[in-house]
Amino acid sequence: MSKSRFASLSLAVLFVAGAVSAQTDPGVQSASRGTGATIIDPSNDPNGFTAFFNDGLNRFQEVETVSNSANTGLGPRFNSNQCSSCHAQPAVGGSGAAVNPQFLLISSGVAPSDTMPSFITANGPTLEARAPFFLNSSGAANTKAPNGGVEDLFTVTGRSDAGSCSLAQPNFNAYLAANDLIFRIPTPVFGAGLIENLDDSTLLANQATNLTNTLGIAGTFNRSGNDGTITRFGWKAQNKSLHIFAGEAYNVEMGVSNELFPQDRPLPEEEQAAGLPSNCLNLTGTGYPEDTSNPTQTTNAAVLDDVSAFANFMRFLAPPPTSSVVLNGSQVPASSIATGSALFSSIGCATCHNPSPGMTQVSNFAPALSNVQVNAFSDLEIHNMGTRLADNVSQGSAGGDQFRTAPLWGLGQRIFLLHDGRTTDLYTAIEDHKSSKSEATTVINNFNKLTTAQQQDLLDFLRSL
Amino acid sequence: MNPRLPYCLLLVVLSASVAESQAPSLDSGSKTSVDSSVNRPSITKVPAETILVKGAWSSASDSVTAVPEAATVAQNVFSDPYFGISYTLPQDWTQKYEGPPSSESGRYVLAQIGPPKTREGPTSASMLITAQDMFFTPLPAANALELTEYIKDHLQADYKVEAPPRLIKIADRSFSFFAYWSPVAELHWYVLAVQIRCHTVQFVLTSRDTKLLERLMLDLNKMKLPAEVSATTGDGGGPVAVCTKDYARDENVIARVDPVFTEHRFNPVPVRIIIDKQGKIKHIHFISAFPDQAKAISDALEQWKFKPYVSDGKPAEVETGILFGRAPHITAPHAAGSAVH
Repeated sequence: MSKSRFASLSLAVLFVAGAVSAQTDPGVQSASRGTGATIIDPSNDPNGFTAFFNDGLNRFQEVETVSNSANTGLGPRFNSNQCSSCHAQPAVGGSGAAVNPQFLLISSGVAPSDTMPSFITANGPTLEARAPFFLNSSGAANTKAPNGGVEDLFTVTGRSDAGSCSLAQPNFNAYLAANDLIFRIPTPVFGAGLIENLDDSTLLANQATNLTNTLGIAGTFNRSGNDGTITRFGWKAQNKSLHIFAGEAYNVEMGVSNELFPQDRPLPEEEQAAGLPSNCLNLTGTGYPEDTSNPTQTTNAAVLDDVSAFANFMRFLAPPPTSSVVLNGSQVPASSIATGSALFSSIGCATCHNPSPGMTQVSNFAPALSNVQVNAFSDLEIHNMGTRLADNVSQGSAGGDQFRTAPLWGLGQRIFLLHDGRTTDLYTAIEDHKSSKSEATTVINNFNKLTTAQQQDLLDFLRSL
Repeated sequence: MNPRLPYCLLLVVLSASVAESQAPSLDSGSKTSVDSSVNRPSITKVPAETILVKGAWSSASDSVTAVPEAATVAQNVFSDPYFGISYTLPQDWTQKYEGPPSSESGRYVLAQIGPPKTREGPTSASMLITAQDMFFTPLPAANALELTEYIKDHLQADYKVEAPPRLIKIADRSFSFFAYWSPVAELHWYVLAVQIRCHTVQFVLTSRDTKLLERLMLDLNKMKLPAEVSATTGDGGGPVAVCTKDYARDENVIARVDPVFTEHRFNPVPVRIIIDKQGKIKHIHFISAFPDQAKAISDALEQWKFKPYVSDGKPAEVETGILFGRAPHITAPHAAGSAVH
């Protein structure tokens, strides 16, 4: 080969290599965006709910003990001892942090006698574990016996404030050996009060008009078994309201019985047997529920229980602000984000991740929750997400591969992605939407028809949210 | 869009080759409408990437009668016996992923096909084949042409219409053809729709390359379709039952037993039935239902009796729809004079 031809070829190779350089997730945006503030304008708060937000924020960060303290009720089984330990990133109310607090619970004496489950790592996602199926006596997964309940990671065994209560952790190794364990990460709750205040009719109208799509997408809603209305909180939209959401989490994740979930909760397999042993009941010594109205035992009849305070905190959290994006140390041009936004709609992402599913109703809490456009990037429907994302857990009417369209507001500062935190890479998360039985496959096919530069714009846009 | 395209389509009937590179094809496997987990013995491990716990799903009273979702892509051929469609795909095209289950609004994804993964990317095209049961659509459209017109009228602002809905010939049948594109994504969508057995069957072609889309459209002329289908009529008959939307109205029902549900659910349950010449139900197809709902409705429908449907003075089989459960949200009244049958 002549020198000149070789040089030309080298240039050509360089050009091609440059043209196909991969798109890059800008990653978690570290600059403060002011996320975690209240939506209430203190100067326009006729009902005085700013104080309720602050009270809820404080209680959300309280560390629970089993007994003998101001904040009791922890356990006998739990995943953590503080709401904000899991809902931490990028501010109180968010999702899991970069450093997993669960990894420290044994060494710090919160669960002194337990063994750290193998899937909990120092810098991995904060997790809740569920077994889709019960195991039979030989340790095999019995697919005719659906389980799906939370398998709390830790116990109060060995704590000085837990008396003689002694419990074994779930046999995670057996579940893992049977490929019978799935995970969930904490859902961020910024802007949750706006989602709560969307009328069903608004969502139903969106669902009907959405059927004009030529992408094969047709979702449905999870509904309350009590009154048939649309439920909307949790990974499968299984919870109707922020009160229910808070009450369930307080009971399931921290083991605190409350006015909505009044008993201590055994593991699903424990419930099928003899339940919790008697020496692990009423560990607080106050009777049930452990969280009640009038927690300070005063004569003030207006004092809230923790669950109501948590609900208020979540309800009054402002949506996460959008912001500029930094990629490899440089600020991404605004034009890239604008193009990415248009691409997001054009290829069909917005069919489910609806940038604005509607306007809130008039709120009896605060003017800031009334008549507000909800820029949640979700239709709040549940969609079949296919074999790759399926977890074989049914909640409400959602089946094993149906998930609520995850609201994308705040995505720019989330570390762990998808329901189980399986990836930190946005590109991977997008591609994982594509598999057999998924409603999103055609949209991902469209994404894959974009040029690398267009895909980069789309990733930039998503990290601006 | 090339303005000559519709004229070309009118003239060209024979198939045209699709100029894409070649590679072996893959088979997607067939769909199933029955929860196969019901009688499965215990297994040691939960199989990976398998949906064992289902929500509302499709099912049928027998496994012999064809159902829309039983489309297959095998040996380079897409076929759907229910719709009577057979289409030899462009060489080496495959279906890698099956579509989602049919929806409570009567939407099916019959196939998602395209070139092999090695050739996916900005230069590729793909084809989505869907069906919409016109008995249960909440959209104000009665046939394929009306549905594409409604879609055109409700495109998002990101899209531009390249060709408004018009009738063209594909495989010697009248189709509604409609094209739009996204200037920012530089992607084009060609939508071809036809009415079969009271469903709108759509072929949605997507690519950046309009020449490629035109060739793919011409390639669809290879498709085999039932004789009576068109963009505005496709009401069964011939070797299959006639379909009509409201045959289960009171005046045609001689005996009716309401289902007894054991669990209170709130989802719509769209059901298609085929009534034999004696007025008995011979086939029940649950488009989307939980197993307990399907069981309760089956137990009830088996006791229903209809006036025999009469066509040209003779009793004939008829296919119709019944919605159980909660009615879906309706966007707007159907256009005047747009009854399905």
